[in-house]
Amino acid sequence: MIPINWVVGLAAIIFAIGAIGVMARRNPLIMFMSAEMMWNSAALAFIAFARQWHSMSGQIMAFLIVGTAAAEVGIGLAIIVTVYHRRHRLDVDEISGMKG
Amino acid sequence: MIPFIILAVIAIAGALGVILGRQPVHSALALVGNILALAVLYLLLSAEFLAVAQVIVYAGAIMVLFLFVVTLLTAGKEEGEPPEELGGQRWWAGIFAIGIGVVLAVLAITHPGSAVNTGIPSNFGTIHEVGHVLWGPDFLYLMAVAIMLLTAAVGVLVLNRPMKRSRVRRPGRREA
Repeated sequence: MIPINWVVGLAAIIFAIGAIGVMARRNPLIMFMSAEMMWNSAALAFIAFARQWHSMSGQIMAFLIVGTAAAEVGIGLAIIVTVYHRRHRLDVDEISGMKG
Repeated sequence: MIPFIILAVIAIAGALGVILGRQPVHSALALVGNILALAVLYLLLSAEFLAVAQVIVYAGAIMVLFLFVVTLLTAGKEEGEPPEELGGQRWWAGIFAIGIGVVLAVLAITHPGSAVNTGIPSNFGTIHEVGHVLWGPDFLYLMAVAIMLLTAAVGVLVLNRPMKRSRVRRPGRREA
């Protein structure tokens, strides 16, 4: 039996590591993988809560998170490929055309 | 408790490997390790259908898509991280994110839940139970995700359609 609060703590740590990756890396592919990790940590927290409260709703929410992450990866990678074809560099600072 | 500690160490090591990897391929491999550790952790949390879905969808489909794009965009290049242009952004990002992580983790660990967590039903988290809820009371959410995936597929097609070269390359030239 795993203490549920330790699982939620692990989810928080993975979420924070993903946040560091999104904010500190400039390669869009690595930023995107870090964002995936943040999705995953949210799903982990939902599954832990589902286990705690004996409710399937948490697992349904984790299932929806997996589906949403799949859609997000498709769109995001398409955007990255499109930007790369126009700029020929993998650097998010290339995409500053809408900077205020 | 010991399996959880082992899995947590693997998951955190994978997460650190993602953000510290010099090349996107290394990050992708570390992310696979992270995802597999989380999938086994889902099994321990009696979510067996989601563990299988995690391996198939994440470690299978999504990571293969990532690896396709990585090989398409970075094949044969030794391109390091571009130089820093926003002053001190990395340090602030690290400080804020570590602060958030430490606060959340400490709060989570020091506040154990009050619910009874014994006597879980034997079929909890099986594909039968998940399907029963998804096709029953939560059917609307399933349809919403289906429509969202369809929209994403159409969006990818629209984003990657061949662009009209004459308009992109020579904006001043009139087209007939």
